[in-house]
Amino acid sequence: MGNYVERFNARERILHWFVMVSFFILLLSGLGLYSRLFHGYFSLFGGGQAAIFIHKYTGVVFLVSSILLFLNHFKEMKSFDEDDRNWFRRLGGYLDRDPEHINSGKFNAGQKAFGIFMGIATVLLGATGFVNWFPASFPIDLVRISLLVHGLLFIMFIMFVIVHAYLTTIGNPGTLESMIYGNVRRIWAKKHHPKWYKEISGQ
Amino acid sequence: MAESKMAFLIDTSRCIGCRSCQVACKQWNKLDADKTVSQGTYENPRDLTPNLYNRIRFIEKADGDSFKWLFLNERCVHCGDAGCMKVCPSPGALYRTKEGFVAFNAEKCISCKYCVAACPFAVPRYGADDKVTKCHLCFDRIGAGMFPACAKACPTQTLQYGPRSGLIARAKAAKKTVYGEADLSGLGVLYLLDDKPEVYGLPANPSIPTAIFLWKDVLKPLGLLGFWGSVVGVLTHYVTFGPRKLEEENSEKGGGAHG
Repeated sequence: MGNYVERFNARERILHWFVMVSFFILLLSGLGLYSRLFHGYFSLFGGGQAAIFIHKYTGVVFLVSSILLFLNHFKEMKSFDEDDRNWFRRLGGYLDRDPEHINSGKFNAGQKAFGIFMGIATVLLGATGFVNWFPASFPIDLVRISLLVHGLLFIMFIMFVIVHAYLTTIGNPGTLESMIYGNVRRIWAKKHHPKWYKEISGQ
Repeated sequence: MAESKMAFLIDTSRCIGCRSCQVACKQWNKLDADKTVSQGTYENPRDLTPNLYNRIRFIEKADGDSFKWLFLNERCVHCGDAGCMKVCPSPGALYRTKEGFVAFNAEKCISCKYCVAACPFAVPRYGADDKVTKCHLCFDRIGAGMFPACAKACPTQTLQYGPRSGLIARAKAAKKTVYGEADLSGLGVLYLLDDKPEVYGLPANPSIPTAIFLWKDVLKPLGLLGFWGSVVGVLTHYVTFGPRKLEEENSEKGGGAHG
């Protein structure tokens, strides 16, 4: 019995890398549109017009890959059980120095909620982005609301992504391996996702 | 508001609908003619276009058995608090001239069209080059000590250019109601109307659209707070509650419960 168990297969990892890389391209090309404070980021793309062009087409890549990733994991995050409610009550144990055991499945309640948010936000960002792409084709009030909602979702997105990046790297050592190699150490699985580990190992 | 601020005043009661202003604008700004189709009205063209920075709106009103026209010179009104400038992400694409008007520099426009959504008066247009166009109140003529082309051509002094406070004082002395004196921090183009603003197709109380206000004046600062709050939050978590380290691989405890 090896020290590792598979957590994400190659398809899931590649999809996630598509989502991640396109997200950062969208972030860098969109920052200058968010505020004149970030006008300098346009120069990464050779100017504002080029940045907008790249933002639009990268948005399509992000939309497709993010939806595929969402659908791929949908069955694992669509239902919340008593253990998940316990996770929410204890905020995942993240605000305890010495947290109690929480019996999570493949994804804990926070990850499920994050995944569902990402799915919904992706669709809304895509829809509002499409309206902003062709403003002349839509009623002006819809364009105005789309600009607002696109910005609002971006803010929520970036805040969640910061927390996501923290929790999957330095916050929970050993997690990043699942996105790079696909495998995690058995002690990692037992510690963070005991119910899932039990299912896959039969222990 | 600085005393020296200039303004443009449109006294609609003097307008005879001759459209000299439309022609003079096209001539000075070298704008091509738009091909239009007769639609049973003298109003032509029916809307502002990328090649038409100002036009006369013909409002047909019943007047007993007959009817009468109200004429309105439609153009960018150069808001003191301009929605287009608020949302424009490209510094210098829309800018304020020293006289207080809003001009544009097509070379700096990045074609995002945010200004179209943010304008309370539905003015900015995008041409074949996908760059913003609108009335810039002949900043080039004013800079050279001349009147705007439309005002120069107007035969009835409907279009007047001068110090803002003087134009307003004169209008008030003549017992006229000034449209745009205080709206949006004061419009650079003021109207004297013979009827309610709505009759002329002008908003009664023009303001920055609510969604645009929430986007730029509320969400934008909150977003910066949210971003840095998240960064500081996770770093604080790291040094207080700390990471969830895995026990040594060969440890007897080997996992199970947290902690």
